[in-house]
Amino acid sequence: MLSRSAEGLYWLGRYLERAQHLSRLLRHQTEALVDRPVEEIHFGWLRIYGSLNRQPPVGSLELLAQDAYSLADSYTLADDLTFEPTNPDSVWSGVASGRENARHVRHCLSAEMWTCLNRTYLRIQGLTIQDIWASSPERFYAETVAEIDTFAGVTAATMYRDEGWRFLNLGRSIERVQLSSALLHAHITAAEGTQDVSEAAWTGLLRLYHALEAYNRTYSLAVEPRQVLDLLATDARLPDSLSRSLDMLSAELAAAAPSPNDEAAGAAQRLMGRMSALVNYAWLDRDDPRSLLRRLNAHGRELHDLVTETYFHYPVHDAPLR
Amino acid sequence: MDFNDYELDGRIYDEMFHADGTARSHYQGVHTALTGTSAADLGDIQEQVTGSFSSEGISFKVYGDEEGDERIIPVDCLPRVLSGSEWSGLETGLTQRLKALNLFLSDVYGPARIVEDGVIPVDVVRGCPQYRIEMRGFQAPHGVWVAICGTDLVRTNEGFKVLEDNLRVPSGVAYMLANRKAVKASFRRLYRSSRVQDIEHYGRVLLTTLQELAPEGTSDPAIALLTPGVYNSAFYEHMFLAREIGAELVEGRDLLVDDGVVYMRTTAGLRRVDVVYRRIDDDFLDPVVFREDSLLGVPGIMHAYQQGNVTLANAPGTGVADDKSVYAYVPDMIRYYLSEEPIIDNVQTNLCRNPEGLEYTLDNLANLVVKRVGESGGYGMLIGPHATPAERSEYAEQVRANPADFISQPVLDLSRAPCLINGRIEPRHVDLRPFVLHGHRTRIVPGAFCRVALRRGSLVVNSSQGGGGKDLWVLEN
Repeated sequence: MLSRSAEGLYWLGRYLERAQHLSRLLRHQTEALVDRPVEEIHFGWLRIYGSLNRQPPVGSLELLAQDAYSLADSYTLADDLTFEPTNPDSVWSGVASGRENARHVRHCLSAEMWTCLNRTYLRIQGLTIQDIWASSPERFYAETVAEIDTFAGVTAATMYRDEGWRFLNLGRSIERVQLSSALLHAHITAAEGTQDVSEAAWTGLLRLYHALEAYNRTYSLAVEPRQVLDLLATDARLPDSLSRSLDMLSAELAAAAPSPNDEAAGAAQRLMGRMSALVNYAWLDRDDPRSLLRRLNAHGRELHDLVTETYFHYPVHDAPLR
Repeated sequence: MDFNDYELDGRIYDEMFHADGTARSHYQGVHTALTGTSAADLGDIQEQVTGSFSSEGISFKVYGDEEGDERIIPVDCLPRVLSGSEWSGLETGLTQRLKALNLFLSDVYGPARIVEDGVIPVDVVRGCPQYRIEMRGFQAPHGVWVAICGTDLVRTNEGFKVLEDNLRVPSGVAYMLANRKAVKASFRRLYRSSRVQDIEHYGRVLLTTLQELAPEGTSDPAIALLTPGVYNSAFYEHMFLAREIGAELVEGRDLLVDDGVVYMRTTAGLRRVDVVYRRIDDDFLDPVVFREDSLLGVPGIMHAYQQGNVTLANAPGTGVADDKSVYAYVPDMIRYYLSEEPIIDNVQTNLCRNPEGLEYTLDNLANLVVKRVGESGGYGMLIGPHATPAERSEYAEQVRANPADFISQPVLDLSRAPCLINGRIEPRHVDLRPFVLHGHRTRIVPGAFCRVALRRGSLVVNSSQGGGGKDLWVLEN
């Protein structure tokens, strides 16, 4: 398929995954605003901003640990993460950029996929933080999550399994690896610096990944950080675990078209192998999970560059003619 | 709904009613159905039709509009109906016209006999900004310069007339298909009982046409649709058509020319392209040959075309045949090349480049429509009767300064068709743009993008100027 179309689908996959991930985080965060202690709310914001590596608009998050600030500032922070157009990671930016990419490659999508995505875009387009804050912000985030899930379902049900499908999923899975490795890293960092919230924070993390029941079945009701991390990193039955995302990524990469840039394609395959090994082998003997997650994340960035060089922006002069 | 307040005016042809207020025979079905439908139900239907446009994102862009970058094109849910025999007449006339226009293009870039024989003055042709000197001596593949044409037709009490030939990159066919899809779904029983001729095979016909024009010796040609990109007003249509015909939707940056062959950049390497259905203007097609500041085009594509390694549809240079001055000579072309009388008339046109045309235009400005030769889309024109004296005299100055840039035509009483306006059925002026395709032969899908001037009394149907669309039903005989 056309390289530019493949790239558009790849980014569509990435952006929607990003918007969904952040909406999930914000849903849990805004639920916490109702009844959780202020320390936990503070922890939640610290984790989100840490995983995005973004400077919060309220300056220091430390002040938030006091009740007086937490609610008012949460409003500002949620706005920054949800509707701020200059924040490339905001939910709105993800949906709008995803939809913009979809518009470029609309002829590669099924009609149902476009309609589904366009509805989400049109629903969010006119909203502001006041609108969603007035009623129930968690409902807004839950709807957004559900709509992006629906898009994934409609995609699975209607999209022709051609190269376009492959690049869309390549984008989704690479983004998942990046988001999860960054979030787990930020979670561990935030948990180390915060007392009192650890048990609730780890339970919340499991809930975020729909993994609480699985955890209870596999381990016990007592929440052990090491076991939580093991489950989220290595359980192949968990939809969003690192190892499952890496398997998906590696399958899509292996099945992608014969590449016009053999050198970069080979490098991508080798890097993929190293990333899988990090989670499937090195993980269990880890001393420092954060350094491992950091490496995984850095590899993910390199892999993105290699995919781009392999399929989208390869040098033309020695590309094969077909 | 009843039609008791529906306004009829003897000077203006009404598509639905005879002058005495009885419905025309081919409109009986629609008339009966509308009479039996409540205003509330019609309102629901209109909402449903508009809603489907919005969720499908059927949009166009208005230039110079800073606000929204995409707008939904307004659509009126009431179909306009033509009888099968009315359509057959149009079909024959359009086929005749396109044949003459293609012969004219071969001639005007070749021996120019028509000029030599004094049928068209040389300066009308050479003075036309769309005349491409680069195309001189070029023979278009299969003799087809114009493969896709969108002809604007209007109806008056005297019958159908051609208002304009669009021979460069005509648009609107996606709206023809979208209008049909939405309206058909909303008037299910009426549609079934009306026996409307199908238009859904347009994509197949387009594909066949493009395949027929592939360079000699190409089996299974690779076809690409070249778009200026998402910021173009017709991008929706480009995307839609690429999908319909299974072509790659490419931008200039996706293509490159190597050794006179056009390739597109794919995930598997460079793939040869045989036919380019190009939806960008001549000016931007190839920076080597035309505008060198073009970032949208493909350097070297004209060279590949002239070598016969790729077909461009439509050919560059076709604009000389849809120029507003050259338009006045199309009936003469038909007589000259085909020895036939034109089946569909032109609108009487005064060329201001001729002294008598200029004088007549300036003397009768209040009763004429004056158009700029190089403009389209309803831009840059003066509708005499609707303009203030100040606007008219200011415009007259411009005409006097560059007479060759202007033509004038009488203000036509465009026919009116019933539309749903604020819950009432009211007449509005309409035109229609059928799409005429020509590969090895001419093919016309029995339908058209029917444009409607939704503002009361307005004669301007362009979507950029408050116009909307309507489905056109051609009934079986």
